Amino acid sequence: MIRLETDILILGSGGAGLFAALHAKAGAPEASVTVAVKGLLGKSGCTRMVQGGYNVAVGPGDSVERHFLDTIEGGGWINDQDLAWKLVETAPARVRELENQIGCFFDRGPDGGLHRKAFAGQSFDRTVHKGDLTGIEIIGRLAEQVWARDIRRLEDHRAIALLPDAAGAALAGVLFIDMRSGDFTLVRARAVLLATGGGPTMYRYHTPSGDKSCDGMAMALRAGLPLRDMEMVQFHPTGLLAGPGTRMTGTVLEEGLRGAGGWLLTGGGERFMLRVDDRAERATRDIISRTMIEEIRAGRATPHGGLYLKMAHLGPARVRAEFKGMVERCADCGLDLAGGLVEVIPSAHYMMGGVVFAPDGSTALPGLFAAGEDTGGVHGANRLGGNGVADSTIFGGIAGDTMAAWLRDASGFREPDRDLLDQAAGRALAPLHRNGAGRLADLRDRLATLMWDKVGILRTGRDLADAEAALADLGAELAETGAGSASPAYNPAWHDWLNLENLILVSRAILLAAQTRQGSRGAHYRCDFPEPGDLAASSYTEVRLQGEVLTAANRPVRHTRVRPAQETGR
Amino acid sequence: MTAGEVITVTIRRGGEHGAPVPVDFRVPITGDPTVLDLVTAIQRDQAPDLGYRFSCRVGMCGSCAMLVQGRPRWTCRTRVSLVARRGRLDLAPLPGLPVVKDLAVDMAPFFEKWAAAGGGFRPCESGDAVLALVAPESPARRNADAAIECIGCGVCAAACRVAGAEPGYPGPAALNRVWTLVNDVRDADGPRRLAEVAGPGGLFTCHSQGACTACCPKGLDPSRSIAGLKRAAVLAALRGEP
Ligand SMILES: Cc1cc2nc3c(=O)[nH]c(=O)nc-3n(C[C@H](O)[C@H](O)[C@H](O)COP(=O)(O)OP(=O)(O)OC[C@H]3O[C@@H](n4cnc5c(N)ncnc54)[C@H](O)[C@@H]3O)c2cc1C
Ligand code: SF4
Ligand code: SF4
Ligand code: FES
Repeated sequence: MIRLETDILILGSGGAGLFAALHAKAGAPEASVTVAVKGLLGKSGCTRMVQGGYNVAVGPGDSVERHFLDTIEGGGWINDQDLAWKLVETAPARVRELENQIGCFFDRGPDGGLHRKAFAGQSFDRTVHKGDLTGIEIIGRLAEQVWARDIRRLEDHRAIALLPDAAGAALAGVLFIDMRSGDFTLVRARAVLLATGGGPTMYRYHTPSGDKSCDGMAMALRAGLPLRDMEMVQFHPTGLLAGPGTRMTGTVLEEGLRGAGGWLLTGGGERFMLRVDDRAERATRDIISRTMIEEIRAGRATPHGGLYLKMAHLGPARVRAEFKGMVERCADCGLDLAGGLVEVIPSAHYMMGGVVFAPDGSTALPGLFAAGEDTGGVHGANRLGGNGVADSTIFGGIAGDTMAAWLRDASGFREPDRDLLDQAAGRALAPLHRNGAGRLADLRDRLATLMWDKVGILRTGRDLADAEAALADLGAELAETGAGSASPAYNPAWHDWLNLENLILVSRAILLAAQTRQGSRGAHYRCDFPEPGDLAASSYTEVRLQGEVLTAANRPVRHTRVRPAQETGR
Repeated sequence: MTAGEVITVTIRRGGEHGAPVPVDFRVPITGDPTVLDLVTAIQRDQAPDLGYRFSCRVGMCGSCAMLVQGRPRWTCRTRVSLVARRGRLDLAPLPGLPVVKDLAVDMAPFFEKWAAAGGGFRPCESGDAVLALVAPESPARRNADAAIECIGCGVCAAACRVAGAEPGYPGPAALNRVWTLVNDVRDADGPRRLAEVAGPGGLFTCHSQGACTACCPKGLDPSRSIAGLKRAAVLAALRGEP
């Protein structure tokens, strides 16, 4: 086992991780800062994949208050309002920083100022972007800045356990697998940022990058930290459906296609959204996704089991000009988005839930900080499009500041609890000595189908109970399955196994939270409890792991800035 | 290649140490897969420890590039039916970079060159309060936009013989980025960056034959960017600028 030390250790190189690294280094120039990532720096993760853009209230007539109310209403009144306020309040400064310090060159409007586009669920056009590939610009520029500084990189390093000291008083370090050699690396650090980006890849159709498997949330659960709002999984209505054999399936066709006037059709070619919502295909993500599943379950699906997206009535030339990236991507799959029909299906996109944290990035475990999609509370029951990349870059930067300041008061390096270290290493090594790598793909498929069918967009108590038993079985089966006895060096089967272990644990957390919320809010819809309940008496769910057992509680939401009744005067 | 056929995929397997060995896999085709799908299927069903890299699966991250039939390509957006010949497909890791294992490479040298060429924005001192006004149709914006959407996939560098032969040469992607920054009116150094890349082993090492441009999956034109840099550097020299 290799041992390293760094003052500040950052897990993940998405918007949260890279921003934290830059701010930590700026705040504590003498400190050693290390970014560790399960893949290559700046290439893995979902910030890179952001298409639409970044919400910021900078337009004339817009205000931070309006952005705040949109975020709270979109969130079904269960957001932590102090976190949501921090988000909207910091966004203007963060966008200026992205432009002026980091070098992102966002698109401009005719007056030369930032161009802002409309996004669903918002009372104002406030989404700043770079074409429909905003994430490439943001992460490309952030990564360049990190490369240009004295920041250490641990690429292809997968974090597997957060290790407190023997007294459990504070975090002492993180155990990694150096994926290239297959050896363990123990990194002791005085401050650690969890920024591994959640990612609901346990669903059959999902949008995030392949490296994400809820590792951060699983590690947090094992370290005893509470996760909130785990039942809140956002589905993007237009995931590409290109058949089971291709990784393209599930990837997002951007929201702007519906915004521009695209239609959703049944397998028989009929529009169906008009029946449900006056806004038709422009309704919010949750409403469209639910209606799509109802249509599919009613037997009106396309050959691959989805629905059609049609753009041709807008004129193929216009579609090709306005949505070049999407048209080309579909063409690479042999599909004609501009002139034909493309099959789509709602695709698991984002987890609103995650680690409970404070507006300064701190968590219940001293020395551990968290930011980005790994955290919960900012978005409540539903995230607005454009608030995700804002979240990761804003709270990542704040956590970087906080960690730099924390070094001044924090004690020196701590020694990780020896027993916990041995346990974590033993658990990770176990599958290497067992056969059965050939069964991993099948296990993953069954998990994906189970979560899709029973813990997906439409939920019932009975389905959840079935899924609870089935998830336990899958967990037991995984424990019997191995990753083959081949070398641990850059061995994808081993990491598939570890991914599955984390995905099953976090799936159990989603399921338990879904059982606990007996009502429907935002992304969480219970067919047996369709009502949202009293908004003023809102609660949020909190899940913890104790030993092998997950427990859940309902906690009251404190409406610290605005209460549901006040909102009507708007 | 159509569904139902079986394709023979030859993968050059091996690690950084030890000679790579070509290994054949026979894969039944379902649907209309990409090269990445095929590699995934091989890893899942036949070679669980096969090393390969991908992340976004939709052409945004630039981590899935390989040599496909001897030519560098992004594999998540390359369909097998368009590149396979007579039921065969040949795959090898991207050249010019250390092999981690099988098809996975370490891209650090590529980004080290990028950083060494100054491929990062440099802020002006003037502070944060305002954003630069740049009209979308202005030459300033159009010049900066022309080469901006690079995903750092390394395909152009792998196609460039000069980059392969001259370790000090920054390569097409890094120079393409510098050209974008030279044209970025917000960058503190802008045209002053020319001197940093115009020295021996720098941009004049380029043969201008455009192998980089021919292979760029994003349709960018690094060769043209380098030509722009050369032109600007010559003009600057004529004017007696450093
Ligand atoms: C296709 C797509 C489009 C999107 N479009 C938008 C949009 O238009 N607007 C918007 O606001 N939001 C959008 N989002 C959401 C947005 O991407 C996220 O909200 C946000 O960027 C997440 O940032 P992050 O830093 O928390 O995580 P990520 O950017 O996902 O980064 C996570 C990092 O952690 C690393 N990691 C994971 N596990 C480990 C481990 N065990 N050890 C070490 N490292 C690890 C990963 O490799 C990665 O580097 C989109 C998401 C997707 C998938
Ligand atoms: S044009 Fe220049 S950079 Fe491009 S491949 Fe040729 S030598 Fe390399
Ligand atoms: S210029 Fe093109 S080929 Fe080269 S790294 Fe950028 S996107 Fe890839
Ligand atoms: S997997 Fe991201 S570009 Fe191919």
